[in-house]
Amino acid sequence: MFGTLLASPARSVPRTPVDDATVIEKLPFRAGDSRARELNALRVNARKAPGDSMAAAALAKAYFDVAQALGDPRYVGYADAVLSQFNQPMPVDLQVLRGMLRQYRHDFDDALNDFAAVLAQDPKRASAHAWRGAIYLVLAQYDNARKECTALLELQRPVLHGGCTGLVQAYTGQLSSAHSTLQKTLALTRYDDQRLWLLTRLGEVSAWLGHNDRAERYYRDALALGRDDGYLLAVWADFLLDNNRPAEVVKLLAAWESSDPLLLRLAEAENTLQLPSAKAHLQALDDRFAAAKLRGDITHQAEEARFQLRLRKNTALALQLASANYQIQKEPRDLRVLLEAALAARDTEAAKPAREWLQSTGFEDAKMRTLAAQTLQLPPLVKKQVGTP
Amino acid sequence: MMPHFVMVSVLLMCQITAWAHKASDSYLVVDVKGNAITAQWDIALRDIDFALGLDRDGNAEITWGELRARQSDVSAWALSRLALTRSGSCPLQVTSLQVDEHTDGGYAVLHLVGVCPGATGALGLQYRLLFDLDSLHRGLLRLTLDGNTHTTVISPTSGAMQFVVTQTSRWEQFNQYLIEGIWHIWIGFDHILFLLSLLLPAVLVLEMRRWQGVNSFGLAFREVLWVVTSFTAAHSITLSLAALGLVSLPSRLVESAIALSVMLAAANNLWPVVQHRRWLVAFGFGLIHGFGFASVLAELGLPVDALALSLLGFNAGVEVGQIAIVTGFLPAAFLLRNTRFYLHGVFVLGSWLTMLVAFIWLLERAFDLKLMTA
Repeated sequence: MFGTLLASPARSVPRTPVDDATVIEKLPFRAGDSRARELNALRVNARKAPGDSMAAAALAKAYFDVAQALGDPRYVGYADAVLSQFNQPMPVDLQVLRGMLRQYRHDFDDALNDFAAVLAQDPKRASAHAWRGAIYLVLAQYDNARKECTALLELQRPVLHGGCTGLVQAYTGQLSSAHSTLQKTLALTRYDDQRLWLLTRLGEVSAWLGHNDRAERYYRDALALGRDDGYLLAVWADFLLDNNRPAEVVKLLAAWESSDPLLLRLAEAENTLQLPSAKAHLQALDDRFAAAKLRGDITHQAEEARFQLRLRKNTALALQLASANYQIQKEPRDLRVLLEAALAARDTEAAKPAREWLQSTGFEDAKMRTLAAQTLQLPPLVKKQVGTP
Repeated sequence: MMPHFVMVSVLLMCQITAWAHKASDSYLVVDVKGNAITAQWDIALRDIDFALGLDRDGNAEITWGELRARQSDVSAWALSRLALTRSGSCPLQVTSLQVDEHTDGGYAVLHLVGVCPGATGALGLQYRLLFDLDSLHRGLLRLTLDGNTHTTVISPTSGAMQFVVTQTSRWEQFNQYLIEGIWHIWIGFDHILFLLSLLLPAVLVLEMRRWQGVNSFGLAFREVLWVVTSFTAAHSITLSLAALGLVSLPSRLVESAIALSVMLAAANNLWPVVQHRRWLVAFGFGLIHGFGFASVLAELGLPVDALALSLLGFNAGVEVGQIAIVTGFLPAAFLLRNTRFYLHGVFVLGSWLTMLVAFIWLLERAFDLKLMTA
């Protein structure tokens, strides 16, 4: 099994270019770019003082920022390697970073522990509370998340507190309050990166409320800030796909093939429009999911479930992936792919955790509630009959 | 102050960026046969650039010329991070450099060879590529050790690994072919009918042109033993010759000849020509049946490293299947040997039916027809 998987990336035949000028790889940036120069300076600093935790933290942080901006996990590995040179107990700055890297790899429990250890040493470290809040939201532990939001208020960090509280409200059946919380928070800040984040979340909340015009205005305001942001592009593309506007997605994401989640949305749009480019993009996604599986990476399961469900029509596998993902992540998009996969597989039982989540949280998105109601109307399933005509 | 503002933008967005691209992998395919090692190692150009700096002109593009210019550095760097041992260290060298594409971009392809001090025993492998720089890097290893394939994802915590040619896997291989052999004799009706045609008269003796039961079980048993042993010896010889590729006959000819052998064996019961030397018939036609077994084995495929063992397993399986048939047949036939049921129903009618079926097989196989659905 593993052997055949391994054969797939190795399927192509190695070649010997004839011309020395043949370009065989493009790097993310030139050696003279400001980002490359900054990274290089930090590397030199860290190398000069091997035991200096400040220099190491600065380098690791810079790598992590590049990872976020480019969506390239290689830089997460670089940051992690810098940190792994330090033994326990870690200096606080490094431990914050390690927590961030761990949550990035979906190692949520260890990340929570890292941030707790940071707070034990430095109770005023607002970022540690913010990260804990974020992780609790992913884990659907809303009471814990609320405590972190409160801590941010006590530390007098109104923007962080507003973002945190707004999301907890949104996920727990108070979309209108969430909207006004996030809107008030937006008025508190002039920083573009904060505004972009808040506008994006306001767009999502408005879309869940069914206020499509308003959602579109928020998304467009966020896009007008002119910053590349993978999350914004992904949710905006989802909004367009949900509203049958695939042509705009094709235009929006044409240059974003290198990012898996954005390529997935691009391929969905192309598939709906039956464009010839869809075929190559579907193959590329197949290859990338296979490559991720090969190295034992399960952080792609939500995307792969959606890919198998919507594009490969492989409902059984989609449901398996969506269920496995839901064991780890429980945000609205994880819920939705689980409901859709269960519905497609006509498996009412598999949708049960999602229905219970909707019931206990009171989450108000009408689309999701309709999906959940539909999974209840499925006839009881004799599992063995799946797949027989 | 500044880091906290950056942190806000990062807040709660972690999940989306987590799935862009994939982290760094190298693909290492190693084939060890005895003391000889050949390997192919695909390493991402971006990783080599990060470790060694390939982009000499700083234009963010790596050209084939830029990689070639650093070939010895790249080789030295890679080889310093891979150690293979078999009864001591196996020095490796890079024989050629190529390029390839994987899902996340361009790769340098290093072709390696090496020789170990020993040709048997465990193979040690220690992989350290990039772990000092990128803790998410993984080495995706496919190792074929004397025909046994191992696949592993190597991480910074893997350390020095040992791979062994496990005895259990040899034993499993033998078992697998043993079962195939048994299975084949059971579903190979032509072999069973041939054998039974020769065995039916073993409990009888022809006196005054009339068949009647033999007096002692010993006589019958000796006859059966001779027939089965000769059949076995004969088909083992040709099966081995064919499986080892020393002799090869067209399968249509072989299959037709097998059908003919069944026909003749059954006919000999009705119009006796050979009586006391049935073991010779069994031996002669057994040679043909061996070629038939060999074609089955060819479909299964024989593992190169365990050729003899698998062949032995398959042969043994065929024998076990035959012995099971004989064990069921002989006592029953001996008990019934003087009854009309056996003499007329089983012996005469059975031989007629066998002849008819074999005749149809012969037509089917010789002329490539489809007369029976079975």
